Amino acid sequence: MQYLVQLLISGLAIGAIYGLIAMGFAVIYKSTGLVNFAQGEMTMITAYIAWTISTTVSGNVFVVAIGAILAAVLLGLIIERLVMRPMLGEPVFATVMVTIGLAVILRSAINFIWDAYPHGLDIGMGRGIVHLGGIGVRTGQLAVIATLLLLLAAIWAFFRYSKVGVAMRAVAADDRTALLMGISATRVHALAWAASSVIAGIGGVFFALSYDLSPAMFQLGLKAFPATILGGLDAVLGSGLGGLLIGITENLAGGYLGSGMKEVAGFAMIIVVLMVRPFGIFGERDIERV
Amino acid sequence: MRTGDYKQTYGELVALIDSPPVWLWSAVLLLALIAAPYLLNSYTLSFLMIILITVTGALGLNILTGYTGLISLGHVGFLVTGAYAYAVLVSKYHMPPLVGFLGAGVVPALASLIVGAPSLRLKGLYLAITTLAFSFIINTVILEMRWLTNGARGIQVQRPEIFGISFDSDAAFTYLCLAIAALTLFATLNIRRSRVGRAFVAIRDNDTAARVMGINLHAYKLFAFVTSAFITGIAGALYGIYLSFVSVEGFPFLLSIEALAILIVGGLGSALGAVLGTVLIVLLPEATRLVFSLFSAQMDATFTTGAQELKSMLYGLVIILFLRFQPRGLVGAWHDIKRTWVHWPLRY
Repeated sequence: MQYLVQLLISGLAIGAIYGLIAMGFAVIYKSTGLVNFAQGEMTMITAYIAWTISTTVSGNVFVVAIGAILAAVLLGLIIERLVMRPMLGEPVFATVMVTIGLAVILRSAINFIWDAYPHGLDIGMGRGIVHLGGIGVRTGQLAVIATLLLLLAAIWAFFRYSKVGVAMRAVAADDRTALLMGISATRVHALAWAASSVIAGIGGVFFALSYDLSPAMFQLGLKAFPATILGGLDAVLGSGLGGLLIGITENLAGGYLGSGMKEVAGFAMIIVVLMVRPFGIFGERDIERV
Repeated sequence: MRTGDYKQTYGELVALIDSPPVWLWSAVLLLALIAAPYLLNSYTLSFLMIILITVTGALGLNILTGYTGLISLGHVGFLVTGAYAYAVLVSKYHMPPLVGFLGAGVVPALASLIVGAPSLRLKGLYLAITTLAFSFIINTVILEMRWLTNGARGIQVQRPEIFGISFDSDAAFTYLCLAIAALTLFATLNIRRSRVGRAFVAIRDNDTAARVMGINLHAYKLFAFVTSAFITGIAGALYGIYLSFVSVEGFPFLLSIEALAILIVGGLGSALGAVLGTVLIVLLPEATRLVFSLFSAQMDATFTTGAQELKSMLYGLVIILFLRFQPRGLVGAWHDIKRTWVHWPLRY
């Protein structure tokens, strides 16, 4: 029983990281209709920048957090402006392939700028252990779950109540009509990229905090795919929850079926889910007009 | 002199090659390729082998992604299945290589039925991600089935001997690759101009319209999956033989992306594009290395230390630049050049 609870909690913790990155996917999909295959790499860059700040500038939590968020915003804006904006109006397939190309470039850039060795991100917290009913949990794990829940609530409120959030939904629903209503689609896209970069970046930093920073981290992006698909590409909240679900499934499969199953449990799960609901659990059915 | 395209019968419209000069140049190219193993040194010959093997695989993906418009991010899954099917049959059970090649086609084709069937309801990106999932699952399956595949240890593969002809030497193996690549090219060109090929393209252009015109979407999508996986599997077997060692690590996920890059750079949905794209993408790293070494020995040194990274960055950059500035790929560029050449100084 204790083993099960242990698995569940660490599953929730890693799932929260997947959930954050999956929300990054969903924010971009929701406002631009694209799947950003470079999400994992963007996450990784933010984490590496956070690590660089912590080793060169200061290990203070707030300095690292603010620095990482600013870097993530900048990264999102630069990518949107330089790479994605010129592709506006091109077919979706072409644009998605551009993000794949971008992913390849970013991944190599990381190996080029930093090195190929694993690093630990140490900001003096997150590695302590708290005992909850006899089960040891790392504070970093608790923090990431709390952050995910907070962000879920904040994003729900943002899309529901704020003018900008409504504008983003409008652009996603029909960009031409949105333009006629005086919404600047390009600004909304830029905002979406920045927001997605930040949300996913937070996930990346938490990952580096609880585990290690290494060039293989881009696989987080691949792991977060099932989460987004499970929740539905256009459902930001669903993606967050999908992450938790994938994290738990993965950990249970790893704990009871073997480590090989852990790697693919998420992927196996989305194939099954997509067979039943081809648009994700929380996604909206696409109605095609002929 | 040719003064225009005059097509008077349906036969002419679907003819494989519609002009004598193209016949001539194709024959010249074929002769050059036949002569190549005797003229090239073993270093350049290895590029030719890789190009021929990659062409086969790219043509396989082209049927699915180029013709039918189903994006697959998991083609490396079929590649690795084919390689393992060949390795298991030939190296482990000592079957004749021809049976091995057949298995290398049939086993991925069966696997494609498994991944294709659930994919029939999916479209676009959801499908792409399902195929991605498939390629990861297949890797795990291979690693777990140790009794058959030796798990992570991999399987040694010898160069084959077919009908008493040994393909042990590089030159002979190049001929084998050439024969298979040429066969594949003919097969895909012929599929494209048949009823099946037209159905594929109709599905790509507008699946609802295709369905209204009486095309069985499920059957044709599955058929595209099976054909594509069959060809890709054979390419996988060839690649395994080329590496002389089949393991999961030999087929990284990057190959899937490379294959898509080849199609895009060449021109999506065109067999010629697949060939041109392959040549460009395979030779790109080597070409950059040459350019770098021209500038200075010191830059050459940087290039060797960060070679892998620079190579990948270049891939990414080429994909992005092509999509941005030449979305129809090399084939599109070639058509533009031809048109300009014929009509200059008029625009058309």
